[in-house]
Amino acid sequence: MAVPDASRSHSSSPLTSSLAWGLWLWVAVTIWAAFYYAPLAAGFIGESSRILFFHVPMAWTSFVAFIAAGVWSLRYLFGGRRTEHDRAATAAVELGMVFCILATVTGALWARIMWGAYWNWDPRQISITLALLFYAAYLVLRGAVEDPDARARLSAAYAALGLIVAPFLFFVLPRITFSLHPESVINAQGKVEMESRMLQVLLSGSAAFTAFFFWLHNLRCRIAALAERDAAEKEA
Amino acid sequence: MPRRSSFVAETAAVFLKDWRTELRTRYALNAVALFAVTTLVVVSLGLGPLGAVGGDRASILPVLLWLILLFAASAGLPRSFAHEEETHTATALRLAARPVAVFCGKLLYSLTLILAIEALVAPLFAAMLQLPVESPGRLVAALAVGGYGLAAASTLVAAIVAQARGKGALFAVLAFPVLIPVLLLAMAATRAAVGGGAEDGALLQALLYDASVTVGGLMLFPPIWNP
Amino acid sequence: MRRSFGRLQVLDGVSARVETGGVLLVRGQNGSGKSTLLRCLAGLLRPQAGTIEHREEGRALDAEERRLAIGYVAPDLALYEDLTVQENLEFFARLRGLPRERAAEILERIALPPHRPTGALSSGMRQRLRWGWALLHRPAVLLLDEPFQNLDRDGEALARTLLAEHLRDGLAVVATPVPLDFADLAHAETLELRR
Repeated sequence: MAVPDASRSHSSSPLTSSLAWGLWLWVAVTIWAAFYYAPLAAGFIGESSRILFFHVPMAWTSFVAFIAAGVWSLRYLFGGRRTEHDRAATAAVELGMVFCILATVTGALWARIMWGAYWNWDPRQISITLALLFYAAYLVLRGAVEDPDARARLSAAYAALGLIVAPFLFFVLPRITFSLHPESVINAQGKVEMESRMLQVLLSGSAAFTAFFFWLHNLRCRIAALAERDAAEKEA
Repeated sequence: MPRRSSFVAETAAVFLKDWRTELRTRYALNAVALFAVTTLVVVSLGLGPLGAVGGDRASILPVLLWLILLFAASAGLPRSFAHEEETHTATALRLAARPVAVFCGKLLYSLTLILAIEALVAPLFAAMLQLPVESPGRLVAALAVGGYGLAAASTLVAAIVAQARGKGALFAVLAFPVLIPVLLLAMAATRAAVGGGAEDGALLQALLYDASVTVGGLMLFPPIWNP
Repeated sequence: MRRSFGRLQVLDGVSARVETGGVLLVRGQNGSGKSTLLRCLAGLLRPQAGTIEHREEGRALDAEERRLAIGYVAPDLALYEDLTVQENLEFFARLRGLPRERAAEILERIALPPHRPTGALSSGMRQRLRWGWALLHRPAVLLLDEPFQNLDRDGEALARTLLAEHLRDGLAVVATPVPLDFADLAHAETLELRR
């Protein structure tokens, strides 16, 4: 995918403007649908199942962000050590952390409603904590290396390692032992358990949040590039 | 053109050199053994005359065993790279050996160090805490697969940390999120070996994780090691 | 070639070419980037711009091949303190695919006590060891950063001899304030670096 580059002018071409507006509309519709269009799920207390339409997309988006960070890191390492790839990877980790924290918080809120405690240390909660720790460690590593080239190279290697760790944390570890988590949406036989409307909102929400992430990522990269250029000019 | 040596010869050379220096200074062995035994004693005293009650024991003690192994590994493993960078021998190694051989040599060194620790700690553990072992074969398998995971991931992270500041603490921060998944799986497999329950494929998944980390390490080590 | 460390621009617009039998002499004040240049040539640093090319029989070598063809002497290069001199050289000989006898051969040349722990060597002896290590695998290219540092008169004479022998079918890039005078030096170029 194309990496945002500040040297190209991005401001308000009619296409990008309408795309941005479209994205906002899509997110708004999804939020409305979460409350008014989708029915309540059986077995959940009160309206609490609606949190699902936010919690799941956010967790999914953070996973996408972390994978994107890993991919950009590989491109940095093996594709010519270009700073824009390093910048893209860092931005992806930062945004991924935000979505991950939000997913953790919404998960905890929902756990409180359903089972009376915010934190149960069930495998899903353990996994998401480990993911937070892993990517927080990425940011710590960046702070611990002075030379910019070494900083980019070493943190890229760590984020690339995340391409193994993240899928393991998000998909393998939670399934290992009995979980308090409701059975996954798609069960072992591949049948879809949820009512179709709920599924629609869920999928739409996941897609919307993912698109939202990429839009935010684009902005973040451009800001970082401009900041760098600014700092370089000040030195000269 | 100078003649090239074989990958195996280079790996073996690095492995033997690391052990030769280790046996001469005994720095890591001492630190690790002391740490492991001390923790073991403290844990035993903690669980005390009351001990852990029957069925609980099978659940709690594998957890404690792997925690001891984790901390012992963190005490002993990062040094293999950090020492090279600090004493500037890393430069000579970078020029004289191919990167993958350095990685494999150091990985083998870490692995044998961990297996040595396990050989010390596991029997002591079983004896001091009266841990009844239902299936020794499965216990050995769990120790081997979990131990390899510890070694492989620690070697890779140690290589990263050696080139950054804040060595000791930074290693823990970077390594634990990578190590804990394999530890959890090893704990589950150990629990099954000790208590005799079903382990639900934990060992297989740990093996998968080990293999992935190894492949990832082989790919990522060269850019970590060389600028 | 260009190389900076963060905001510190160390090398800028450096360009040179050396051929077999030739010496590139790198001169400049402290901090002008001599060590940085040599590290880049050794593959220990990546330049941010420019290329380093090593051609043999008309073909450009890749990074691994370059590594095998380089011998490097520098003040911050150290061998393993806990191993003896002989053990060190034998280790690196094994890494390079050389027979153990080669280590003994080089040891004799540099005249060091084989079973002295490397940590117990004087600075002059360490420098001789660095020379021995660099020439162990008969490299095509010698990169020398302050190669005569700490050497006594005998040591310096030995180093000059080794360099002259090397230049019969190799080339060298040398950063040193010590005058190099080889009467039969066919190609000798000087590169001046400014801060």
